Amino acid sequence: MSEEIRTEEKGKKLEDIRKESEEKACPVQKAVYFIDEFIAGPMCSKCYPCSLGTGEAKIRLIRISSHHKNVSKRDVQALKRIGLNMIEGSFCKKGRETGRFLIETLAASEDEFIRHISGFCLQKECISLVEYKIHPGQCVMCGKCLEACTHEAIIGEKRESYLTGYLPFEILQKKCTKCGECIKVCQIMAIKRLSTELPELIAK
Amino acid sequence: MEKLVKLQIDGTMVEAPAGMNLIDAAELAGIHIPNLCYLKGMKGIGACRLCLIEVEGLKAPVIACNTKVRDGMVIHTKNDKLNEVRKFVIDLILSMHPLDCMTCTKAGMCNLQKYAYDFELKESSFTRKKFGYPTDTANPFIKRDPDYCILCGRCVRVCKEQGTNVLEFMGRGIESKVVTAVDKPLQESGCTFCGSCVDVCPVNALLESDRLHKGREWEYEKLKSVCLLCGNGCDITVSTKEGSIQKINAGAEIGSAERYICAYGRFGFDCIEAETRLTAPLKRVNGELKETNWQDALGIVADKLKQAGREAGFISIAGIGNEDALTLRKLARDVVKTKNFDTTLSLYAGSDSLKNSQTADIDTADLIILVGLNPSQWKRILPALDAMVRRRVGRGAKLIVVNSEDTRLEEVATLSLKGDELTALKGIANALIGKGMKADKKLASAVKDAEITESTEKAASLIAGARSPVIFSSPALFNASANIALLKGKIISIGLESNARGVAIMGLTTDGKTYKEMIKDKMAVLYAVGEVPLTKRPDAGFLVVQNSHLTELAKQADVVLPSAIFLESAGTIIDYMGRVKYLPKAVEPQGEAKSHTDIFIALAKAMGSVIKRPTEAEVTRAAKVKTKLAFSPFDREQGLEVAPEELIESVNASVINGSRLLWLKETEKTVAL
Repeated sequence: MSEEIRTEEKGKKLEDIRKESEEKACPVQKAVYFIDEFIAGPMCSKCYPCSLGTGEAKIRLIRISSHHKNVSKRDVQALKRIGLNMIEGSFCKKGRETGRFLIETLAASEDEFIRHISGFCLQKECISLVEYKIHPGQCVMCGKCLEACTHEAIIGEKRESYLTGYLPFEILQKKCTKCGECIKVCQIMAIKRLSTELPELIAK
Repeated sequence: MEKLVKLQIDGTMVEAPAGMNLIDAAELAGIHIPNLCYLKGMKGIGACRLCLIEVEGLKAPVIACNTKVRDGMVIHTKNDKLNEVRKFVIDLILSMHPLDCMTCTKAGMCNLQKYAYDFELKESSFTRKKFGYPTDTANPFIKRDPDYCILCGRCVRVCKEQGTNVLEFMGRGIESKVVTAVDKPLQESGCTFCGSCVDVCPVNALLESDRLHKGREWEYEKLKSVCLLCGNGCDITVSTKEGSIQKINAGAEIGSAERYICAYGRFGFDCIEAETRLTAPLKRVNGELKETNWQDALGIVADKLKQAGREAGFISIAGIGNEDALTLRKLARDVVKTKNFDTTLSLYAGSDSLKNSQTADIDTADLIILVGLNPSQWKRILPALDAMVRRRVGRGAKLIVVNSEDTRLEEVATLSLKGDELTALKGIANALIGKGMKADKKLASAVKDAEITESTEKAASLIAGARSPVIFSSPALFNASANIALLKGKIISIGLESNARGVAIMGLTTDGKTYKEMIKDKMAVLYAVGEVPLTKRPDAGFLVVQNSHLTELAKQADVVLPSAIFLESAGTIIDYMGRVKYLPKAVEPQGEAKSHTDIFIALAKAMGSVIKRPTEAEVTRAAKVKTKLAFSPFDREQGLEVAPEELIESVNASVINGSRLLWLKETEKTVAL
């Protein structure tokens, strides 16, 4: 919030960030990316609605995307309020644009946001809301995923031609960080990324 | 008179001076437009967005702090949309602010608390953010607690504008923090502990270190007064509770950046209860100073003065009130019947240079010229002048520094003239006459041969082009500088002590021996008033010291009379601008200490005479002097070579040694090494 208006944009421009965010299919991830890049780059930190608002928006978006234990519809409402007030109250165009982005994103895909609160990411981009699973029928037990996993989240025994009775390959969800390294090495694509199916969804 | 414009604010018609911003204009109508970052007197930056208002005819809301009044404007300060933005902002700030108003010292004064109350926000509806920044308590003056900071930037801006420039923002967004360079503690950052940042902080982030348990704002009795510790004579606001001083602030409106006071003025009041404070008269018995009562002490002094008569001498500081000066003069001249009475004024100024000094409206001055003056916040030589000049320059005024020595103010000067001041002044005068300024014959002939250099020519152009230039000069160069003022502008000479001008006008200037002579010559009785800059006993037959503290000199005296300090006695001074300023009695004197005037009257009574207490009318009458400027040769008054820093330190020695300022002095020494 320094006195002189910082006109020169640091790093990326707002349009670039918007364009890059379009690459994300999940609207929550899109918003997370946009706000993150905005705070790190073009935000001038000069006026309250924008500098404090985006800080709060980031917290709310992380709650939604990581399925924080207390996440609720109030988080989406808070985002809406932040967006509207940034449009109304921000000093410069950049802040107002960011507010508008939030509102537009929410308006276009409110259902998606609500689904995230239920613990479901349709686009499987929010890593807290996806599970990696090894398809037992497709797995050839080559053991490459086991070598690739640095978190000791995969168990199983590599198939050796002279042995029988193997321990099948499996991903331990509690240890899995969803880094995606195993998917990269699985040549037969036996490892799948699935949206988590939480009890409340199954009940529907 | 400034032009008035009419506008309508929330249905009320308001007349406001042209150029005023809408926050101030609304206040005229008693309408408060919420704001957190606005500082009266400074350009609005519109960071907090609380002052957004709607102007009829404009599509989007505008910020009131940076929008000027226009004739026929119709504005609305409240509606649902605006209130939502305000509530939203306060809500966000509350989410990162400790909600401990019940124990917070700033409660009742805190703008955030006020707005939270207005918008009925008990808790933030947003995510609670805790940063856990450490509190800076490494100095005894200013406590910095970044956890309370609402990032309004007032402290940063005020520090920058007055030129101290030690605070800055670090980080972005919610992670911003106000820091010093490289996040060092204040005492290592170049901070002078003037406390301007404390005055403007709307919350509990910057506070006097010792405020805990010293009461909250509504418990205080507040008095407007004046600091007498140096030649600036700054306005102060004294807050007292249960008969003792709790804090001192700059004498400006709350939330305004218009005044500056230095660490001496703000934190020096501790000295009231210093160990060296005198609470009873002392007399020398068998070579040792023993406590006695007033009657006894005054009796001894009265006898000695009677015996001495013409051989008695009175020396005083010039930081005493007008009433004190008048009474002292009467005591010396009419009761003791001596011609020897003088003040420390004679060390740095001729009395005429102060009597003929003019007055000026500094807020409208567009050119400031400093001649032979080296004000410095850092050395605390006329620190408020330094801050004021920097502030004026920051707001667009030009500055010319004429000084043979290096000055720190040069860094902001439009033009700096080095070398002999007299040569420069002559050159400027000649150049001004060359530009068609009317001069009397004497002046014209005195400068007609003066060399006009490139810089004196430039200085003359600046003066000629200015609307209302103001010259501040050292007393020694007053006469020479006044010649410029004869051509254009106002001239003000500034003494080193608060009431230098008052003492000169009240006539406390010797008819006999001067201050220096009285110290050198063996006087039968030497009577020293106030903290005179002496540590060794002058060769006098009998030495009386009348001071608030037991100084080195007082320890060598024959009789010591305990006097009140300026916060403990009522009176007036005439400051360097010629304004009569009133000092109320903020607290009762410690122990048996009495005001200077009271002591002089009692002493006269002990000598069998009556001195009437000077009335306010008497002082105001005396203060009305017509200043007249006439040509005088371009000379420097001789015999006034005193080191300003040393003098200011020695007349304030007890204040410094008897308060937390001692820590500052020692720390500054270590940092300088």
